[in-house]
Amino acid sequence: MKASWMKRQQYLGYLFIGPNMIGVILFFIIPAIYSFYLMFTDYKFMNPNTKFTGMANIKRMLGDDIFYTAIKNTLLFLLSVPVSIGLAFIVAVILNRSVYLKKLLRALYFMPYITSGVAVAFVWMLLFQPNNGPINGILRSIGITNPPGWLSTMDSSMYAIDIIWIWFMLGYNMIIYLAALQEVSTELLEAARIDGARTWQTVRSILWPLVSPTTFLLLITGLIMTIKQFGIIQAITQGGPGNSTTVLSLFIYQNAFRYYEMGYASAVSWALFVIIMIFTVIQWLGQKRWVHY
Amino acid sequence: MNKCIATLIMLFFSIVMIVPFLWMISTSFKTPAEVFQYPIRWIPAHFNWSHHVKVWTGDNSFVLYYLNSLKVAVLSTIGAVCLSALAAYGFSRIEFKGRNTMFMVYLSMMMVPPQVLFVPKFIMFEWAGIYNTHWALILPGMFTIFGVFMMRQFFLSVPQEISEAAFIDGAGHFRIFSRIILPMAKPSLATLAIIDFSWHWNDYENALVFLIDHDLFTVPLGLQNFILENNVDYNGMMAAATAGIIPMILVFLIGQKYIIEGVASSAVKG
Repeated sequence: MKASWMKRQQYLGYLFIGPNMIGVILFFIIPAIYSFYLMFTDYKFMNPNTKFTGMANIKRMLGDDIFYTAIKNTLLFLLSVPVSIGLAFIVAVILNRSVYLKKLLRALYFMPYITSGVAVAFVWMLLFQPNNGPINGILRSIGITNPPGWLSTMDSSMYAIDIIWIWFMLGYNMIIYLAALQEVSTELLEAARIDGARTWQTVRSILWPLVSPTTFLLLITGLIMTIKQFGIIQAITQGGPGNSTTVLSLFIYQNAFRYYEMGYASAVSWALFVIIMIFTVIQWLGQKRWVHY
Repeated sequence: MNKCIATLIMLFFSIVMIVPFLWMISTSFKTPAEVFQYPIRWIPAHFNWSHHVKVWTGDNSFVLYYLNSLKVAVLSTIGAVCLSALAAYGFSRIEFKGRNTMFMVYLSMMMVPPQVLFVPKFIMFEWAGIYNTHWALILPGMFTIFGVFMMRQFFLSVPQEISEAAFIDGAGHFRIFSRIILPMAKPSLATLAIIDFSWHWNDYENALVFLIDHDLFTVPLGLQNFILENNVDYNGMMAAATAGIIPMILVFLIGQKYIIEGVASSAVKG
């Protein structure tokens, strides 16, 4: 009786998970294995004579200057993550306590995150116009005679992308912080106030340490999310000027679908996987070591 | 008093946050000569509707893009919510051999960046004959690992005693799932549906890789297409960007509570 019940549980379990599992196998697991194989071939779009080339793609990647440029640009892109998190923390702390119109403000800050990345990309493209764009207009009017070229010059383009991305992610980070701040007990804050702690002291020595697990989580997930992102960059600059905004994920996309070097793109995408895995492992270790729930 | 000042400061910065949108809407009603006029004229002297008319009735009509996006996003979302709920029930309320291993496989798939999957999916879809059709977006869109996590999280919070009582009354898992657990999960299902819909509506990367024909373009691709073809018509670009953003703003205003709660719970509890 017990055995047949167990058997039935087994069967039912597969019945519930099965439909979803089929999709996960078809659209995640098989492509992942297939991609791993493609990394060792010279697969090109619509080319029937695919050859096994062993380590050739990996050697090519390690000798490719654009690959290193892409890594450098990715690191510059990642700079936006801590900045956005810091700003979000400040906004969340203020919104969590003494303001009117809390709901409206929360919605306004969150707005960029919900809108289409492509649409906002084009809006920013115009805002950042170097000669007559509104941003440089404002900068000139406050006395900056030589404002940056933003998206149009090689040394400023990645920072312009950073600004857009900080703006885009701010609302998301803020919402997560608000959720975390709601868990902080009001008694603790009351006690601090009675002990004469000033606002700044409370924030620095009570709130900031208490939300450290959230900060850590936002940092790691933000880094992973940012590393994967290429849509906004593809829409605005396509990696230019030069290769100054070609981040790793965009480099993969362009190799695969602009140059049809799909074997090579697969190799680079696995390099991206290794980076993401490193962050995931750090997150996993970090949660055990110094994040206190 | 302090509270007033804090509100004003926050309000000021929140306006800075949405200034790009305000500028976008304002520019979409201007004449070409007014686009880069400085100081910025926020309310144009004459409202010029011609750019919006062009966006909606011209060769690249947003009516088409909206219909395509609606089809892709609605079908993907329905599939994703149903299949996630079903799998999440299996992962959280039925005990069977191999369940935890299977869940670990799900977990590990979260680490694989979408870039790894693009090329093989492209080849597979080409082979299966669904490349350059909406199915290339809808079918994979129906499977979301995030959705399984989110629903599992909720199902785990429902006391096991409820199931036990139902078992004694002779109910099976399908009955418990459809009559007890699902009705309780309505707010979670709505949250997942809204978040998932917004992802599919805004999805640019998959559409970029898997769609070629202009008739099939979804809103993000249509927007890009419009802008590439009219790259000096800045007012038209901003009218198109407005058209691209409005539906999501409406969804956000309607489902604000769900979106914000869903986003918060996905990161803090997940």
